[in-house]
Amino acid sequence: MADLRIDLAGIKSPNPFWLASAPPTNSGYQVQRAFEAGWGGAVWKTLGEPILNVSSRFAAVSFNGQRVAGFNNIELITDRPLEVNLQEIIETKKKFPNHAIIASLMVEPQQEKWHEIVKKVEAVGVDGLELNFGCPHGMAERGMGAASGQVPELVEKQTHWVKEVARTPVIVKLTPNITDITMTAEAAVRGGADAVSMINTINSLAGVDLDSWNTVPHVGGKGSHGGYCGPAVKPIALNMVAECARNTFVNVPISGIGGISNWQDAAEFMLMGATGVQVCTAAMHHGFSIVEDMIDGLNNYLDEKGIASVMDLVGQSVQRYSNWGDLDLNYKVVAEINNDVCINCNKCHIACEDTSHQCIDLYTESGRPMLKVREQDCVGCNLCSIVCPVDGAISMVERKSTIAPMTWNERQSLISSFAR
Amino acid sequence: MSDHLLSMDEMKKVDDYLDRGFKVRYVYENLSGMFVEFERQEEVCLQILTAEARKYIAEKLQEQTLL
Repeated sequence: MADLRIDLAGIKSPNPFWLASAPPTNSGYQVQRAFEAGWGGAVWKTLGEPILNVSSRFAAVSFNGQRVAGFNNIELITDRPLEVNLQEIIETKKKFPNHAIIASLMVEPQQEKWHEIVKKVEAVGVDGLELNFGCPHGMAERGMGAASGQVPELVEKQTHWVKEVARTPVIVKLTPNITDITMTAEAAVRGGADAVSMINTINSLAGVDLDSWNTVPHVGGKGSHGGYCGPAVKPIALNMVAECARNTFVNVPISGIGGISNWQDAAEFMLMGATGVQVCTAAMHHGFSIVEDMIDGLNNYLDEKGIASVMDLVGQSVQRYSNWGDLDLNYKVVAEINNDVCINCNKCHIACEDTSHQCIDLYTESGRPMLKVREQDCVGCNLCSIVCPVDGAISMVERKSTIAPMTWNERQSLISSFAR
Repeated sequence: MSDHLLSMDEMKKVDDYLDRGFKVRYVYENLSGMFVEFERQEEVCLQILTAEARKYIAEKLQEQTLL
C-alpha cells in the first residue's frame, strides 16, 4: 500500500482527494458524510455575506448517451449566516481532526472585509483558506469572484490583505475566464499566496430549449450565464495547471480542479504538477462513495509503478510539456492497421479521406475488404486511431526519421543565419 | 502529383545542386513557400513548396554550417 498522504503548502490530508467548494460542501452534515466515505479534505462552500439563490440552478450537457458530460450551475455562495457555518466546521473538525477543512472565502475587495472574515474563520480551527476569485456568475456582477480574479492587481492586493492577518496557508482559486491564467497565478504569488488552485468554472450557457425557446436552466423564463464544469472541462483545466506548473514565477503548490472524475484523472493532474485534487461534479453525479474507487485505483497504480508515496508523482510530467516551438519537427509516427482486428467499418478511411490527408486505401484481398495506410503520405495526425471504434485495430507507430531532430525554434535560428 | 512525390522531387533537386558543388547562400520564406539561393560560379534559386522538403533543407543548412 502506497502512502497517499499529501502536504499542500502545510495543509496535510490523508489522501489527495478533496471535495471542491460547491454544493457538496454546503453543510457539516455533508462534509462529515464525505469524510466518512473516505475523502481526505473538503473546501467548505464559499463563506461570505449570505446570499439569496434562485430556482432552478443546475443544468447538464449529455453527449451521445453519456449523462453529465458537462455541468452548468448558477448557484451562488453560501446562503447561510457565517456563524452557522463556523459552528458546523467546529463540529466537523472535532469529529475528523486529521482531515483537511479549508474555508473558501469571498467578500468585497476591501481590506477590512477580508481581515474580518479571515480572523473569524481561522478562529474555529480551519486548516487553510481558499480565496474564491473564480466564480463567474452572479457574484461577479457585484465585483467579487471572477470579476476580482480577472484583474491581476486585484488578485495581488486582496491576497496581500489576507496574508496580513492569516495564520493558516492561503490558497488562491483562479478563474479560467481569462486569456492567460499564469498572469493571475503570478499575481497571487506576488501577493503572498501559499498555493493556487484551478480551475473555477467556465462561463457557460448549457442550452436553449427548442420548444419553449427558454434558456437551460431558466428562472421563470429568463436565464443567465453559469459556470461550466465536469468531464468536458478537464483538458482545459489540465492545461492551465500544467502552464502554471512550468512557470518559474508560480513557485507554489497547485491544487488541481476541473472535471476530475476518477483516479486516472487525479494522477494526470498530479503528474502535471498538482499536489492534490478537488472534485465536485463527479461527486454530484455519483455520490461521495466514488472516492473508494479513487483511493483503491490510485493505490494500485502506485504499487504497480513501485512508487512509495503519492507525493512522488507530483510534477513528473511537467518537464515534458513545453512550447510548440521546442517540439521536434522531424519526429514521425504513422498509422498501422491490423486487418485481423479491423471490422471494416471504414470510419478511418472516411475520416482520412474527407478531413485529413487521404492516405488510407481500400482494397480487396481474397475477396475480403482490407484497409492499408500509405505510410509515405501519412502525417501521423492520429485521427484514424481516434475515430476507430475497435481497440487495437489502429496503432500509431514510430518511424525512425532519416534526418536529425530539429525544432521550429532551432530551424528559424538556422534559417536566419542565411538571410539576405 | 502527390505531396510525397512532389517532396521527393524537391529533395532530389536540392541534392543535385549540392552534389554539383553548389552551396546555399541565402534562404527566405514567404507566402509562396521557401526560396533557396544556391551559388557556385553562377547563382540559381530553387522554390520549395512542400513541408517535407522545407524540413529537409533545414537539415542541409545545418550540415553546411557544420562544414
